[in-house]
Amino acid sequence: MSTRAIRVLVSVVVIGGALTALLAMTLRGNAAYYKHVDEVMGNPAEWYGKPMKLHGFVADLQKRPDSLDYQFQVKQNEFAVRAVYTGVVPDTFKEGSEVVLTGRLSADGFHANEVMAKCPSKYDPDKTGR
Amino acid sequence: MSSLGTFLILTAFVLASGAFAASIAGARRQRQPLIEGGTGLFHTVSALLLVASAVMVHAFVSGDYSIKYVQHLSNAEQPLFYKLASYWGGLDGSLMFWATLLGAFGSVAVYVNRERHRLLLPWVVATISVVQMFFLFLLVIHNNPFETFLMATPATGQGLNPLLQNFYMAIHPPLLYLGFVGMTIPFAFGIAALASGQLDDSWLRAVRTWTMMAWLFLTVGLSLGALWAYEELGWGGYWGWDPVENAGLLPWFTATAFLHSVMVQERRGMLKVWNVSLVIVTFFLTIFGTFLTRSGVVSSVHAFGEDPKLAWMFTAFMGLMLVVSFGLVIYRMPLLRARNELDSWASREAAFLANNWVLLFSAFFVLFATMFPTLSEALRGERLTVGPPFFNQWMTPIGFVLLFLTGVGPLLAWRRSSIANLRDQFLWPVLGGVAIGIGVAALGVPFWASGLCFALCAFVTVTIAQEFVRGARVRQKATGSDLFTSLVGLFARSRRRYGGYVIHVGIVLVFLGFAGNGFKTEEQARLKPGQQVAVPPYVVLFKTISVTDDGRKQMVTAHVEASRNGTPLGKMYPARWFFRGREDEPTTEIALRRSFADDLYVNLAGYELESQAAILQVTVNPLVNWIWFGVGVIIFGTGICLLPERTFAFATSRVPQGAVTTSLILLMLVSGGLARLHAQHVELPQTVTVVPRTPAEKNLQTELVCMCGTCGRKRIGECTCSVAAQMREEVARLVSEGKTQDQVMAHFVAKYGSQEVLSRPIDRGFNRLAWFLPYAVGVIGVVVIGGVAWRWSHRAPESLEAPAMPAAPTASAALETQLDDELRDLD
Repeated sequence: MSTRAIRVLVSVVVIGGALTALLAMTLRGNAAYYKHVDEVMGNPAEWYGKPMKLHGFVADLQKRPDSLDYQFQVKQNEFAVRAVYTGVVPDTFKEGSEVVLTGRLSADGFHANEVMAKCPSKYDPDKTGR
Repeated sequence: MSSLGTFLILTAFVLASGAFAASIAGARRQRQPLIEGGTGLFHTVSALLLVASAVMVHAFVSGDYSIKYVQHLSNAEQPLFYKLASYWGGLDGSLMFWATLLGAFGSVAVYVNRERHRLLLPWVVATISVVQMFFLFLLVIHNNPFETFLMATPATGQGLNPLLQNFYMAIHPPLLYLGFVGMTIPFAFGIAALASGQLDDSWLRAVRTWTMMAWLFLTVGLSLGALWAYEELGWGGYWGWDPVENAGLLPWFTATAFLHSVMVQERRGMLKVWNVSLVIVTFFLTIFGTFLTRSGVVSSVHAFGEDPKLAWMFTAFMGLMLVVSFGLVIYRMPLLRARNELDSWASREAAFLANNWVLLFSAFFVLFATMFPTLSEALRGERLTVGPPFFNQWMTPIGFVLLFLTGVGPLLAWRRSSIANLRDQFLWPVLGGVAIGIGVAALGVPFWASGLCFALCAFVTVTIAQEFVRGARVRQKATGSDLFTSLVGLFARSRRRYGGYVIHVGIVLVFLGFAGNGFKTEEQARLKPGQQVAVPPYVVLFKTISVTDDGRKQMVTAHVEASRNGTPLGKMYPARWFFRGREDEPTTEIALRRSFADDLYVNLAGYELESQAAILQVTVNPLVNWIWFGVGVIIFGTGICLLPERTFAFATSRVPQGAVTTSLILLMLVSGGLARLHAQHVELPQTVTVVPRTPAEKNLQTELVCMCGTCGRKRIGECTCSVAAQMREEVARLVSEGKTQDQVMAHFVAKYGSQEVLSRPIDRGFNRLAWFLPYAVGVIGVVVIGGVAWRWSHRAPESLEAPAMPAAPTASAALETQLDDELRDLD
């Protein structure tokens, strides 16, 4: 019984340990920070190159004619960062809308490869703040 | 009416507490009147909730906008179907719907088992009542769906979110709820077994059917959700690892694990603690899923709003449930000792065990990754997120292991497989897998992404085929009948086992569809009229953009022409719809061309009216239809598994008609599943039909379909959009000019350049197959099930005995005994 218990324990620890280690390793490559603009732009250099989801409000939105290239500011409080994005944007992506950008920050601005517009809760139209 | 609803819910809560108290007291003191009283109260609660639901439905149908919930989710213009669907479209109503379903399910389960499991029943009633009380408590205290406006009542409602005004979305939540709620029944029986100490296998037999049924609903619910995402959200995929989707998947994993491990307990008396725990965990995960979608703990595209108070109540309930349930498990540990130990790792029970671990790990992983942002915020104060790539990175290999085990399990014998046995069993499946693997590798399919999946699919398919052939051969020898009869006999003899194999075939098909995801191609382009975008093998040519209005919504439609390898496929009409009052949330109406090889998926992602340009997102999704088809097969297989218990009772009382009815229902389900293959959008009619003046006109209105491209090829007689109106006028004009039906139809075919405009047989390769397939499956199903029913009704007394052994020992005697042994035990 006790040898059996030890065997079980050892296999659980080994397999569990291996899976946990694997999980931790893959997480490192996949996890992205979720940050608001003001948190990042207080000390931008610290965030250069890190995978990130950036949360803020769109301002000064420009689109290069005959293309899908967008240039805009992402603002929160008094902080702002220049962002660029190429591709299809959601309908709710417009001046002043709340967005979450996925991408990386560098010295010349934020390069987004995905744009999500935060929309009013889709299922529950109840905004009475009950 | 609203006060009646509130009163009903309140009463139901009080009575549920009564049912709980009476049942517990009755069970502990062995007092029959108390037990019966408790059960009676329990049924009364279910009845009250049904009445409350009727009140709610009435409020929606009659447009009682003094009720806040109705006002938020419905309006006068909404079609009746979506008025009804609005019942579960919001938070409060969905909780009430949940409670109603739980009442209905619980009452049926209690009624069905009233004789067989007398000792368990009061505990079952008590357990379900507790869960019921929790939901009713939420309704009474926090989420009363009958809450009214105190001051001014708005004249009209806001209407259901247009995104939800889709056929699949209207029926997907109830199916998912049926699955979720259904899992409460096994849990209640498990807890009852623990509490009463009746821990033999009888509670397992009571819940087997329920779990399978709930599992089926869950499976169908999940796939409908995927189908909805695919057709309505317009991002070209069907599963995005969104927290809400994951919430539905979690109990699916553990329920699947339970359905497998339950066989090990029945057969070998092992894994008792494991099974009880799985039932508890599955139930916990259904509640957790509900919690996840309603509390705002994780952010998701389709969670209900944030609600910390509700989150706390759920957390408290889940904590209580876990502590009590596992407390009972620990308390009953001595009774849960296994009868046997694992003899060898090369045995079927070991394969089942491995399958269980992998499934449980999947559940754990998905849970972990879903909760990761919340966890990291709580632990490190820093919100970290993970995306779909992370999920795919892990779930792809896990899926492969599961698929592999699907094939391995049936090949191994119970207890221990000998080397000779292994060689004999594995030879063909492995050869099949390797052959396909090499074949696809030679075709240049990337090995890791899809090649391995194809090889494994082949391996499993050969395994299942081998099982069927060998089983049928053995039966053939034993009974002396032909191969087909033997095959049917196999199903009749061991429905769960062979039904299970059919489910596995469905799983293989679904995996085939997943493998196609590996070579999905996508292109985004901003096109001016006349420009085109190529996504091999398709080319999509953008013609023009149009804006129309049907009174309920404004529709911006792109007109494109698709071709495959240079062969024109006709026109497609991706669109965006802007519903009145919801202009800021347009819906994407994708245009889709399905085939068994791949789907051409065109989405109008954006447009610029001033430059007449359209931003098109074109996706080619290979093999995706096999997923929906596989789900159809899974439904069919589950139907076979579910058939036994009921037909068995019918067969002994010699009323085979019951079997026929069941099979008909099944067939309808299956062909329903297939019909989805070519269903597109279902828009409810608003009946503004132009009344046909002559029979010929009427006929033509059913022969032609609307060509606007967005209303899902509705017949022009039923379609409400302006294109259909024009077409109706044109038909009327042509008929009045004295043209015959054929001439008119030829005119339309010429006008639209293809037979697309005809509602019935479009005589072209794949389409012909798509039309033919449901009927073929239907006919095969009728033949098979009819044969089965006939056999049962004619051979019922005989089939109760063990099948006759062949007189002379043959070469495969060992296999035969093993097979017969298993057939007997699994029945």
